[in-house]
Amino acid sequence: MKYFNIIRHILSIFLICGFVSCDDFLDKAPQSQITPENYLNEESQLAAYANGLYTDILPSHANWSYGTFGIDQHTDNQAYITYDNRYVPGQWKVGQTGGDWYFNYIYSCNYFLSKVLPRYNSGEISGSEENIKHYIGEIYFLRAYEYFKRYQEFGDFPIITEPLPDQLEPLIEASKRSPRNEVARFILSDLDKAIEFLSTNIDSRRTRITRDVALLLKSRVALFEGTWLKYFKETAFVPDGEGWPGKEKDYNADYTYPTGNIDGEIDYFLQQSMDAAKQVADKYIDKLTVNTGKVQQSASDPVNPYMDMFGSVDLSGYDEVLLWREYSKGLGITHCVVVATQFGDYGVGVTRGLVESFLMKNGLPIYDPNSGYEGDDNIANVRKNRDPRLSLFLKEPGQKNILYESTEGDHAVPIEPIPNITAASAEKAYSTGYALRKGGSFYQNQCGNGQSYTGSITFRAVEALLNYIEASYEKNGTIDAKADEYWRAIRSRAGVDTDYGRTIAATNMSKEALNDWGAFSRGVVINPTLYNIRRERRSELMAEALRYMDLRRWRAMDQMIDNPYHIEGIKIWGEMQNWYKNEDGTSKLVYGTNDANVSSPERSMYLRPYEKVPTSLVYDGYRWAMAHYLQPIAIQHFLITATDGKTISTSPIYQNPGWPTVAGQGAQ
Amino acid sequence: MKMKKKISFSFGKGILLAFMWIISLAMFAQQITVKGTVKDTKGEPLIGVTVRVEGTSMGTITDMDGVFTLSNVPTDATLEFSYVGMKTQRIPVNGRTSIDVVMEEEAEMLEEVVVVGFGTQKKVNLTGAVSTASSREIESRPVVNVTQALQGLVPGLNISSSNGSLEAKPSVNIRGVTTIGEGSTGDPLILIDGMEGDLNSINPQDIESISVLKDAAASSIYGSRAPFGVILVTTKKGDPGKITVNYNNNFRWGSPVLKPDMMDSYTFATYFNDASINAGWSPHFSSEHLQRIKDYQEGKITYSIIPDPNNPQYWADGYAYGNDNVDWYDAIYKSSTYGQEHNFSASGGISEKTTFYTSFNYLDQNGLMKLSKDFYDRYTVSGKINSELTNWLRFGYNFRFSRENYQRPAAMTDALYWDLARQGWPTLPLYDPNGYLYSSPSPALGLATGGKDKTMTDNTYHQGFLIFEPIKNWITHVDLNYRITTAERHWDSQRTYNHDVNGNPYVYKSSSNVHEDYFNDNYFNINAYTEYSFSLNETHNLKLMAGFQAENLDRTVFGVQRDGIIVPELPEIDLTTGLDYNGNPITPSVNGSRDSWSTAGYFGRFNYDYENKYLAEINLRYDGTSRFREDQRWNLFPSFSLGWNMAQENFWETLLPTINLLKFRVSYGELGNQNTSNWYPTYQIMPVHSNEGSWLQNGTRPNTAYVPALVSSTMGWEKVENWNGGIDFGLLRNRLTGSFDYYIRRTKDMIGPAQELPAVLGIDVPKTNNTDLKTYGFDFELVWRDRLKNGLGYSAKLLLSDSQTEITKYPNPTNTLSKYLEGRKLGEIWGYETIGIAKTDSEMQEHLVSLPNGGQNALGSDWRAGDIMYRDLNDDGKIDDGANTLDDHGDLKVIGNNTPRYLFGIDLSADWKGFDFRAFFQGVLKRDYWQGSYYFWGVTENKWWSCGLVPHVDYFRDEVSNHLDVNLDSYYPRPIFGTGKNQQVQTRYLQNASYIRLKNLQLGYTLPSALTTKANLSKVRIFVSGENLWTGTKTSEMFDPETISGGAEGNGNAYPLSKIFSFGLSITL
Repeated sequence: MKYFNIIRHILSIFLICGFVSCDDFLDKAPQSQITPENYLNEESQLAAYANGLYTDILPSHANWSYGTFGIDQHTDNQAYITYDNRYVPGQWKVGQTGGDWYFNYIYSCNYFLSKVLPRYNSGEISGSEENIKHYIGEIYFLRAYEYFKRYQEFGDFPIITEPLPDQLEPLIEASKRSPRNEVARFILSDLDKAIEFLSTNIDSRRTRITRDVALLLKSRVALFEGTWLKYFKETAFVPDGEGWPGKEKDYNADYTYPTGNIDGEIDYFLQQSMDAAKQVADKYIDKLTVNTGKVQQSASDPVNPYMDMFGSVDLSGYDEVLLWREYSKGLGITHCVVVATQFGDYGVGVTRGLVESFLMKNGLPIYDPNSGYEGDDNIANVRKNRDPRLSLFLKEPGQKNILYESTEGDHAVPIEPIPNITAASAEKAYSTGYALRKGGSFYQNQCGNGQSYTGSITFRAVEALLNYIEASYEKNGTIDAKADEYWRAIRSRAGVDTDYGRTIAATNMSKEALNDWGAFSRGVVINPTLYNIRRERRSELMAEALRYMDLRRWRAMDQMIDNPYHIEGIKIWGEMQNWYKNEDGTSKLVYGTNDANVSSPERSMYLRPYEKVPTSLVYDGYRWAMAHYLQPIAIQHFLITATDGKTISTSPIYQNPGWPTVAGQGAQ
Repeated sequence: MKMKKKISFSFGKGILLAFMWIISLAMFAQQITVKGTVKDTKGEPLIGVTVRVEGTSMGTITDMDGVFTLSNVPTDATLEFSYVGMKTQRIPVNGRTSIDVVMEEEAEMLEEVVVVGFGTQKKVNLTGAVSTASSREIESRPVVNVTQALQGLVPGLNISSSNGSLEAKPSVNIRGVTTIGEGSTGDPLILIDGMEGDLNSINPQDIESISVLKDAAASSIYGSRAPFGVILVTTKKGDPGKITVNYNNNFRWGSPVLKPDMMDSYTFATYFNDASINAGWSPHFSSEHLQRIKDYQEGKITYSIIPDPNNPQYWADGYAYGNDNVDWYDAIYKSSTYGQEHNFSASGGISEKTTFYTSFNYLDQNGLMKLSKDFYDRYTVSGKINSELTNWLRFGYNFRFSRENYQRPAAMTDALYWDLARQGWPTLPLYDPNGYLYSSPSPALGLATGGKDKTMTDNTYHQGFLIFEPIKNWITHVDLNYRITTAERHWDSQRTYNHDVNGNPYVYKSSSNVHEDYFNDNYFNINAYTEYSFSLNETHNLKLMAGFQAENLDRTVFGVQRDGIIVPELPEIDLTTGLDYNGNPITPSVNGSRDSWSTAGYFGRFNYDYENKYLAEINLRYDGTSRFREDQRWNLFPSFSLGWNMAQENFWETLLPTINLLKFRVSYGELGNQNTSNWYPTYQIMPVHSNEGSWLQNGTRPNTAYVPALVSSTMGWEKVENWNGGIDFGLLRNRLTGSFDYYIRRTKDMIGPAQELPAVLGIDVPKTNNTDLKTYGFDFELVWRDRLKNGLGYSAKLLLSDSQTEITKYPNPTNTLSKYLEGRKLGEIWGYETIGIAKTDSEMQEHLVSLPNGGQNALGSDWRAGDIMYRDLNDDGKIDDGANTLDDHGDLKVIGNNTPRYLFGIDLSADWKGFDFRAFFQGVLKRDYWQGSYYFWGVTENKWWSCGLVPHVDYFRDEVSNHLDVNLDSYYPRPIFGTGKNQQVQTRYLQNASYIRLKNLQLGYTLPSALTTKANLSKVRIFVSGENLWTGTKTSEMFDPETISGGAEGNGNAYPLSKIFSFGLSITL
């Protein structure tokens, strides 16, 4: 009996165990994580999603560099301490994997729109209607911006508007490249939606995207495509052009332009650009930041708002700044730009070409007999009587870099020294001898290494004025009344004589062609009016990350296919060589040997940063290959979309003109 | 009894005497001296037989004539006679003073019992692959945790330490690669007294034995938590009868092993200048700077840095102007450090029916950090009580607690190992001329004054069990197990200061903050199982077992961080301002999460043997897990095994004297792995963060959310199929024993990186069950154990194991080499074949001429003397990697495999007249490793990711460079910044990471019992023991072969392992 009881007890334990183990015990859902069903249902959640994409997609200062001011470093404007392979045909090679054929941020935007739009349309999202619409508009804008980046690199590009299934077949289908003008039209349509949805006043500090920003971007994109089609017309770089690789694929073989032909398409885009630009330009033409034309050199001097706009902590007071990113030392969101400007801009020097293309204050080119130009034997002379946009930002030895002292900031250089052209490290080097203070600050507390926290400008309204002038001239061949008004406003704010007609008349294209790639399109020198429109852009937007974009859409590098271009800096073999003397009077400058630190005077009076040693691959100058206007697509992208994983020709993707489909090879 | 004489000990005397007094009152009733002779069945005296008073460590061995004498033996004691190859005998004294014994040879080691899943099994009847280690083998090892001591002790149990820092846990794995680790883990299940536990926090001296269950037959009873084997740790318990008390200690001195050495400053500057010049750049160090470096070395100047020429109030930048001469490894690591361990235990029977065991252990281990202390302390307490409540019910309760305190400088993070040499140029000033630490940045300032990082981890285990045996041989167990793990981590990141030329401090790193983390695991486990065993006609032996197991783990984590430490000496969260250096508020960051998982399973086992000759076992487990959705949740896992004891057959009679044991085993089992890294792998999660955005809004970090990663809704079990064939043998009176196992383990439907899809998808393809692999290899163990007639006992144990892995299924349609390849072995290293370094430009030109279709242009340009000549393996007239696919791999070939092969352990020991000696070697016989980090190359493409260690001096020079001679027969090519052309994966620089290491060497002496008994001690042993004393390896000298894959992101620069010398003492009452 006793045993029986025990057995019964044991059995009951097992039964309990059996019940416990039912599926309830094993049903575990995440307790402290959010599943997609519970998110993107409320206004602030939409904002949070957009917040994550701002830094991913939009340009802003990054640490250990000259920030956005250094992005033009491999152009005729600015030169890093080392050259870029895109000017060494053969050395820029097709990659095996990776590259910019990249869709992740596009997916992020598409995911948002696919979740939020149906909920928005059925009224399921809580929050203020205006704000909800605004955040949807931000995502449209961000998708457009991301697309614009890809399209600049590749031209023809797949248009993906929704999250795709993770299955091979539909993805191969989706890999088909749409003709570039269709991509541009798609970007414009996203921007139109953004313009419709975005509110004008979501925040007063303009650290969020606004309707004006979308309009400005629209004018930029349309100007890009309009000018590209114009200058690449009849080449392999435009749909239906001679040798256009899209023709090889069935899906693009019969492509026709929506406007019937390429000229209609060019007009369409230029008109779009003008329309959008005008809306922004008219709104801000009277709100351009004031430029006193003077470099502040003491704490008691009046500040120059135009200079400070590029290096202030809080940019919300500058109406001209349409969108900016705020930094904070305390929050650990910092950059290095102010530190860079204490030295040689993190190895990004300004070229002689850029310096010489600036006008005199009186509106005349430097070579004009009446210009009053004092030559370039030293940097002080270079700055004298020049367009203030040069004299403000070009650093001159002896100037004060710091007006407001602080113990935080051990990387300050209070007095600008002679440029350290022999330093090997990017942090200290003046690659060309010319360095900028654009983006700099007179506050020493900005000078902790990697600890600068001035705001970073993303969009500036003045670009709309420039876009209008160029688009209208490219479209109509004349300076219309609006363009005239805008141009004078820009020059007036800059402090240059507003009579641009006098400049055009004094312009000698054969002189300009020596230094400025923008003097060319299709390898041919352009007319002085168009050139001066481009010059205005170059002067106003110096070091603002738009130069390479402009050079590409102008097709302004063909001339280097046959005629190499030499990047040059200061006139080192003039009187400035006396700056570089040891205590015993011998020169610190070494040339002609393997450990040379400057280029030889036999090559040029001017410092040629890439021509110090003969082993340099650009010892004989920068060259160009047509293919380099677009990026090659890496081989793996062809293989993965090929029907058998091996035969590249079966992939719906086609390579960009001039690029091989073999990894590790350069363009023809 | 009475205290005859006080023996004076140098320490612990008082405590010791007090214990002796208490225990002697209780125990020593009446004592006599026992004498006798031990002979074998042929009448020959046996020398060296161990005679021990049961339940104590009191004992002796027989002399040349087989005679023993034991004094102070209680009249009611039992003597235990043991001898290698003989059956152990237990003989009660019963007041006799003379006992003669005849010992019988042991045909098999029938007595040896091995702990297996939910029970024990006679070793001879085992059909699965089980290996064991005993407490003796981990005794007196001056290690920080048990895992370190287990390395090399059990064949097939692979333990590796890729980092020597005090909190580092060695990685443990059974029989090689289990999964590719891309979404699931394949670690062995570690059970301490039947409950999952942490092997690193347990007191090593509590361990009685360790069983390693290696094949499916042995481990399948644990189901889905143990598809890749189980480590069963059994802790000590009390024996009925006499109470035993032990105290032991050891004191240790450690120093770093194979620490890299840096170049001197002048050599370094020369090296970097050569690399700059080779790149066509300006030399980094100007001639004036070089002179200053030289002058400093020669003592002509005493300042390590000059004032900043542009800003003379401050010292100049160290990288551009420093002229110090520092070996940063010497600057941050000590050459000697100290540790100690004390252990006390008492065990025995409180009454006939109740036994207890209790222990206390204290470990205090200091680390090697020089500028700010790092240390690890561990306190453990354990208690165990077992009682027979009635004749059919037994009860037990175990309690175990461990506390681990670990502290290190807050700056001792991965970043330190990432940056050490690249931010530790020998020329950087360690101290500025005023004697303040100076950061350029460089590692020392942060380590010294950047704050502390402390972690306190507590593990508490409660285990209660009931055992019912209502009918003889029908036994039912009910275990309730509970574990609470809490970890509190506190770190403070302090503001740091450099000093200006006048010695005034100025802020170097302005932020300061305090961080607190709390971690809590609550683990609950119930096991209930019942077994019944019976025999039919004494020949058919059957055992049936069935049971149920459920587990649940709840984890809570939270943390908080606030900026603005008010008083640096009081870094507490409530003593922070929440402001940054400039007084701007910073939102404190908080984090927290709550997670849980559970499993449940039913299991059954059937054992059968026929006269111990033919053995069979079947296991079944039906298992469910919370990690998968209902339709994928449950699975059935069977295993089968058979054994044949050939030596039991009648026809073996004649061979039996030489071959005492010969057993064949074979097993097959299927198991499931549910150990996905993500606890909710089937749920899509939105990554949502508060105050995390870096595009500030209104001056604060905004909230952010990101796109959720895709998940595979069909994700389910990984299936593991396991074949094992083995043979066990014992020869020559079982003095030579051994076993050999061969196994094949297939992991199927493994969670792996999914098939590559076109980039237009725009998001990572979700991981799913799409990969298979096969791991195969062998385990081998051979032991020789003997005692000579002169009393010298000695043994030698050799272990060897091997495993290789092959990917058998993987979706890689383009067969790219950058992903797994079907049908290829895991760990293959693809690289170029090196012809050599061109000694002259013309030699290089000749080589390039032989490559008319592009030379070596795919790898770089400007080839000359001092550069690598690669071999054109596919004869296409150029060097490249083709499409980098299996079908077109250009000139790449498999140059090696980084899988460690042939892991071995050699354990030699001897004892003689109270002396004991042990030498334990461990190592890997074959392993290739490609270590392409800047620590290996020195100069790399990027100047800021380069360094100069002593081996790098052996670089190519075809002309004299400062004080460095021409070096045409160099190991390294010419250093060049800006290109990686010479640093391709290639045969010349493949590392041979095989090694042999003297892991432990110890020498002990047990005081003669004649002496110790006078002090009423049953055993006193003193010993010296050393760890990692010697290493044989061909690996480049900046790396330790054990840590070559360690360091930040595997760059090989890890916290060094330690060479340890220790001594200690063990006293048993």
